[in-house]
Amino acid sequence: MAAHSSDTCNSKYVTLVSTEGFEYVVLREATLISPTIKSMLRGQFSEAKTGRCVFPEISGLVMEKIVEYFHYWYRNQDKTMVPDMEIPVDLCLELLVAADFLGLDKQT
Amino acid sequence: MAEEPTLPRLPGPGYAAPPAALFSKGRKRGRMAFGSASVALSTSSDPAVFSSDDDPALDNYMHGGARRKKRYVGSWFDQQPALSESNDSAMGDEMRRPMPKPQARQFRRQLDSGVWMAQDDSTDNDEYSELDLRPAKIVTPSKGFAPSTVFTPSKLSSPPIQRSKFTVQEVHAQECIQKCIDEGTEEVDLNQMSLETISDSILEPINQIAPIPTVTKDVAFEQRDPEIKLYLSSNWLTQFPAAIIHLQHLTVLSLRGNRLTQIPPAIASLKNLKTLNVAQNSLRHLPGELVDLMQRGSTLCELHVHPNPFYRPVEGAKYRLFGADEYDKSLKRRHMEVTPGLWQGKTTVLRARTPVQFADSARNILSEFELPDPDALLTPEEARLRLEDFSELETPAGVADPSPSSERSFEPVGAPSLFDLALRAAVRHPDAAEIEDAIDDCTMYGSLRPGHKTVFERARNIRQLGGQECCVCGRKTLNPVTEWVEFRELCPTIIQTGANGVVEWSRTECLQEAWVPFLRRGCSWDCIPAKAPIPSDTFAAMKQPVPLCLWR
Repeated sequence: MAAHSSDTCNSKYVTLVSTEGFEYVVLREATLISPTIKSMLRGQFSEAKTGRCVFPEISGLVMEKIVEYFHYWYRNQDKTMVPDMEIPVDLCLELLVAADFLGLDKQT
Repeated sequence: MAEEPTLPRLPGPGYAAPPAALFSKGRKRGRMAFGSASVALSTSSDPAVFSSDDDPALDNYMHGGARRKKRYVGSWFDQQPALSESNDSAMGDEMRRPMPKPQARQFRRQLDSGVWMAQDDSTDNDEYSELDLRPAKIVTPSKGFAPSTVFTPSKLSSPPIQRSKFTVQEVHAQECIQKCIDEGTEEVDLNQMSLETISDSILEPINQIAPIPTVTKDVAFEQRDPEIKLYLSSNWLTQFPAAIIHLQHLTVLSLRGNRLTQIPPAIASLKNLKTLNVAQNSLRHLPGELVDLMQRGSTLCELHVHPNPFYRPVEGAKYRLFGADEYDKSLKRRHMEVTPGLWQGKTTVLRARTPVQFADSARNILSEFELPDPDALLTPEEARLRLEDFSELETPAGVADPSPSSERSFEPVGAPSLFDLALRAAVRHPDAAEIEDAIDDCTMYGSLRPGHKTVFERARNIRQLGGQECCVCGRKTLNPVTEWVEFRELCPTIIQTGANGVVEWSRTECLQEAWVPFLRRGCSWDCIPAKAPIPSDTFAAMKQPVPLCLWR
């Protein structure tokens, strides 16, 4: 079991879990843009050991968009003149709240 | 002859056409003995369809129980079945039936008639506000964030926004504009009309003004762009009318003597503007983008900004011009081509700038320096701002000291933040009131920080007035987090480009009273003014003289 946990700890991927229990496997590096997830994955939290972050307050629909954003951000890290990611208008409010919660409100 | 034009289907009640497939099989149809089938006219459900009902037209014979064709009254596009039940004689039927009540003929749209008769003299413009643009549903924050923000049906079915009627003054203005369009007058005079607001839909038609070309004998006809002059002075406008920034051919804009508190940055998109008068308003600052219109070679020649309760530097503030060039270069600017010949207009000279105000995304101000609240009433003392040298840059704790400007890149790198993207989507939302309610709820339950409501309102305002670009990286932003004010002096300039080079005269006065504040906004904490490196010979830099009243 110990070997397992150290494996996941250094894994390239982390798992994000939504309210409904949907799991999203995301590149660890891409999630580190969020200070909230970054601190969850550090130190002695269970998330740091298992590489599995559960967000009971984020629905699957929103989580999907957030994961899309993580990849969008990761792909465009060093690029200039990045086109905007499409955000459906009906999700904007939930995403505002989620972005605030995850600390995704700083321009990078 | 062979092809008859097909008529629209008859919209009789309870009439359901059988599927076309049933039409082909021609089985001999026995007479239907529907004893009480006449009920079908009054029941709400459609009559049953049988395979033997092969021809939709035969339906007319089905009901009534008698071998008699069903009869309709009314014009062909609006027929009603005749109400007679048991009378064979058409004539007798007519006699016995009570005459329909004489009804006043209404003008209403007949779906098939293709004719639309307006009911009143309302214009087409305000038809837009009638459209219900609300989306089907807003997905609300899930229970984890705000347990009680789930939309109740009552909230969703709140009455749609009433059609905004124009005020009397606005209608008057509309007539004036219409007259200009009809006559081809390029001068739109809306002075002293007691306008408090003016809707975009009233100002937009100004774009339609086309000048009547002068046609003279032996002179080739030449199409020219209109040179629209819009005078809105001595009104009571508190907000810059957003439609103005879409008037591409505007050459003269006068907003003198209103109550404006800000000029939107998008005013820089009025490329043909020659005269701008914003004197006698409540402006604390001008947008930094306006500087782009005051360069050598630009069209804007006349600018009236005084008097206004502008921000001013604190009394007796010392300032050094050292590093001003460096700072100036670091800002995104649109450059103008100087056309040869004589150019006469206004240019600006950078004099000083204030420290930078840093805020987080929820408008909590982190820096020591804070710009006064733009809406607050300020005493003249409060409207005075501290200055900072170009070689210095105060940053709040937690913000890395900016690297010297030579190493910084001012190109926007990387993706915008998710918060910004969501904010952009939120202000695009067609029903602003609904989303505002939702934000209120979220704020109340603590899932959004209180500042976010202000941020949202400001973002909507920025978008409405044509958007804002970060002055350092040029990226579009709705939530600028860094702000500072630069003081510039406007100087009349004459440039003569001729055979013997370029000769330039410009007059500077160097009176602090004449300085005009321009607000600069940056989209991230990296988008801040350049910090000029302190040269090795610091003493010389300190001693650099402040120019005094000079002609050059």
